Amino acid sequence: MTEKRERPGDLLQGTLDLLILKALANGAMHGYGVAEWIHDSSQDVLRVEEGALYPALHRLELRGLLSSEWGTSDNNRRAKFYALTKTGRKQLDQETEYWRRMSGAVARILQTA
Amino acid sequence: MRGRFKAFLSRLKALVGRKKLDHDLQDEVAFHLDMREEKNRAAGIADEEARYAARRQFGNLTVAKEGTREMLRFLWIETLLQDLRYGFRMLRKNPGITLIAVITLGLGIGASTTVFSLVDAILLKPLPYPEPGRIVVPSLVSPPGINLGSPYFPWGQVQFRMFTREQTVFQYFGAFQSDSFNLTGVGDPIRLDGSRASADFFPALGISAALGRTYSAEEDRPGYEHEVVLSDTLWRQRFGADPGILGRALQLNGTSYTVIGVMPPNFAFPRAEEMPVFLNFPREAQLWVPAAIPDAPPGGPSEMAVIARVKPGVSLNQVQAQMDLIARHAEQKLPDWKGWMNTRQVPLATQVTGDTRGPLLLVLGAVGVVLLIACSNVANLLLARALARKREFTLRAALGSGRSRLIRQLLTESLLLALAGGAVGVSLAEAGICFAKTFGPANLPRLHEVRMDVSVLCFVSAASLLAGIFFGLFPALAATRENLVESLKEGGQRSAGNSSSPRIQNSLLVSQVALALVLVISAGLLAKTFFHLINADSGFNPQRALTFELSLPPLQYTDQPHIVTLYRNVLDKLNKVPGVQSAGIGETVPLSGQGESTIIRLPDRPAASRKELPYANYTIVSPGYLSAVGTSVIRGRDFLESDILSSLPVTIINLSMAKKFWPNQDPLGKQVGVGSTQYALTTIVGIVADAKHVSLREDPIPEMYVPYTQHVWPSMLTMHVALRTNGDPANVTASVRDAIRSIDPALPLAKLATLSTLVDDSMVTPRFSVLLLASFAALALVLACIGMYGVISYSVSQRTQEIGIRMALGAHRRDVFAMILAHGARLAGLGVAIGLLAAVAATRVMAGLLYGVRPIDAPTFIVVAVFLMVVALVACYVPARRATRVDPMVALRDE
Repeated sequence: MTEKRERPGDLLQGTLDLLILKALANGAMHGYGVAEWIHDSSQDVLRVEEGALYPALHRLELRGLLSSEWGTSDNNRRAKFYALTKTGRKQLDQETEYWRRMSGAVARILQTA
Repeated sequence: MRGRFKAFLSRLKALVGRKKLDHDLQDEVAFHLDMREEKNRAAGIADEEARYAARRQFGNLTVAKEGTREMLRFLWIETLLQDLRYGFRMLRKNPGITLIAVITLGLGIGASTTVFSLVDAILLKPLPYPEPGRIVVPSLVSPPGINLGSPYFPWGQVQFRMFTREQTVFQYFGAFQSDSFNLTGVGDPIRLDGSRASADFFPALGISAALGRTYSAEEDRPGYEHEVVLSDTLWRQRFGADPGILGRALQLNGTSYTVIGVMPPNFAFPRAEEMPVFLNFPREAQLWVPAAIPDAPPGGPSEMAVIARVKPGVSLNQVQAQMDLIARHAEQKLPDWKGWMNTRQVPLATQVTGDTRGPLLLVLGAVGVVLLIACSNVANLLLARALARKREFTLRAALGSGRSRLIRQLLTESLLLALAGGAVGVSLAEAGICFAKTFGPANLPRLHEVRMDVSVLCFVSAASLLAGIFFGLFPALAATRENLVESLKEGGQRSAGNSSSPRIQNSLLVSQVALALVLVISAGLLAKTFFHLINADSGFNPQRALTFELSLPPLQYTDQPHIVTLYRNVLDKLNKVPGVQSAGIGETVPLSGQGESTIIRLPDRPAASRKELPYANYTIVSPGYLSAVGTSVIRGRDFLESDILSSLPVTIINLSMAKKFWPNQDPLGKQVGVGSTQYALTTIVGIVADAKHVSLREDPIPEMYVPYTQHVWPSMLTMHVALRTNGDPANVTASVRDAIRSIDPALPLAKLATLSTLVDDSMVTPRFSVLLLASFAALALVLACIGMYGVISYSVSQRTQEIGIRMALGAHRRDVFAMILAHGARLAGLGVAIGLLAAVAATRVMAGLLYGVRPIDAPTFIVVAVFLMVVALVACYVPARRATRVDPMVALRDE
């Protein structure tokens, strides 16, 4: 077993999970769609590393927050669609609330400086 | 909970459908790349460039896939499978080492499993009776000064009745005694060994009949006892397992008995090896008849044992307290019995185990030592290989394998080896158990229960796993300890051995030598014991002597003249059989069992008190008996045909009796008699050698012989016949049978055997233990030799460069040879020194098993130590020779 080493994506993991859940809040999407949505919604600030995206999707699925299904994309191609499960939606609400409190707190600290 | 279950399912699916998973992942990523490429193209980027850009954006494809895969699997199973595959490959790659390791382990595990199966059946497993903890054997404690080779003596009917009446602590309280029965009317007459047992005997053990029933208390009364219960073996062998046997009448000793039950298979209590020797129980009881002990028994000697089941909730202490109270009570009523009523409650399990615990644990310890040596040997073997693989480990460490991962890999390999060794061990143990059951001493209790069962298999698995971890951990730790940077700098050069690994190797080797020394010394002591026993003065001559037993049915032979006439006829006929030199009868023959002991009266030496009453074995024999068994007359004379009732009552005593009661005096002409004054005193006319009764090991006890023609008690229904022949005793057996048949066709010949067979039989236990220990010692020795050879070979190969330099600088081959031998000698010497110290401690435990040898026997210690040193040096010889053949040029160029 390798020694515990911080992986590049680890730092962002919690954030990435939240963003993925948010992306799927409005309906099922495939991986590419999720990446594009995050990119677009952040007004091109955030670019999701795909190398981290797919492991994250599968991890969330494994945790029961997402469900997946093979379907057909807009351009008629076979694609895997992810959707929020009930637990996933609950998790999204909690995470969002938590994020708001955290970012608010961090922002206040930064202002005082 | 449900989420976790789902995750588990996905993982399981992933484990099984690995291909499908990879495929899906591939599809998903491909789709992503295509979409990205399309977008890039739409943005006006050229075809080729669009694809590359998409890939670039995606990042490391493999990492993404691996990341996903890792998550979806039982990582540890995957790793384990990988380790296993790798381990198998490594083991296959070195078939030599693998084979040696597996065989070494197999021998160690096989031997220890065999011994464990014995220990398990004899010491650990509960007895095959319901609630065995409640079964006890109340035993009468011998008064001080009376020794029957046991602290206990048999129950009499009077005592049994008294305790039966007054005790309230036992649920069942049954008596039983050995008896033999001549079965007539079913084929040839045959002697059956059985037991007269009271009705409580069966419920005390908690066993009821498999077919029919056992007898009731009403059927266990004098005059009503006409039932017989058969053993399963007897029922199958003699009656073809006839289910209609119940109700059939059998002629036993001329009396008719009705079969009312057949016991379950394997029930043969009391077996000889499970009960005190002096009660002379047969190897297996074949039938049981009611003891029919009268309510008011008429005193007199009896050879009974008691078995009882304690009431639920009553403790052994409470039982003991009440039994003591009854004894005090009885002594008040019958002052004559003072000192003869004390009992000790021996749990049946303790009684059955007897004194086998010590020897068994000794053998278990010995075999554990062998296993230890085997393990440390394999450890050294793997250590050498692991060190040779150091480059591989360094490389793997550099590629990101952590130390624990490498250790796990090495341990997986060791466990694979251990399991293979365990498998070999199981088959060896299977053979070993078979061997032990066939050649094991007959007096080993519960030997028939030994088998390969769940607990034995558990032992094998545990032993294999522990062994694997034990011998795998040393090499794994040693081989992975190296600093990564150091090893890389060395560039894979073999180091000249400053690291800690040779230290581990050396200490393993030293302990091997030490352990082997302890085992060889123990075996040496036992072997010496064995030869002392063989050469011990047995007091008889086992060559060309035939013995058998005659049992007269009591109904036909009711009075003494009748019995004496029969024996006289028998002796006359036998003396006329061609090839017979002399014939005699006696109550016992040497090594056929304990004789009857009695209190004696010495008119010239009045006993001070009842506690110091003199006693001696009292053996009835005929003229010719002493010469037939080969017991030499030291002084005086043998019995003569002229010693009859009307002539002077005479006796012959053995040397021990002469020494004990007439030290510094001539016993010839002195008078001695049995305890009761109603019988006349006899005059000593001869002194003979001490003949041994039970084993060659026993200390002789005083014994007096009386001629059967002058004997006064009618207790000669069972007598042994001894014949000294001119040639091979086997040649006369047929004519001897004919001679007996011509006198009484209903008389069976029982226990027909030569005296030398009896000697062999009595030597089974010492022979077995010496064989066992000797083979373990030999095994340990061989393993230690292999270990020595391996370590020295390895060190020579490590020091090739050094040796090359030495030789280049002018060292002679002789010097190199001496240097390597000295290295081996140092290690062996240290091992021998430690082993000698350990042996001093270990052999003290064996003191009880030795005969004619003290535990710390200097000659044995010295000879074995020297022997081990020589063997160790011989093991070093080949590698030392190899060292002298090192070519300095080649050695130096190599590096």
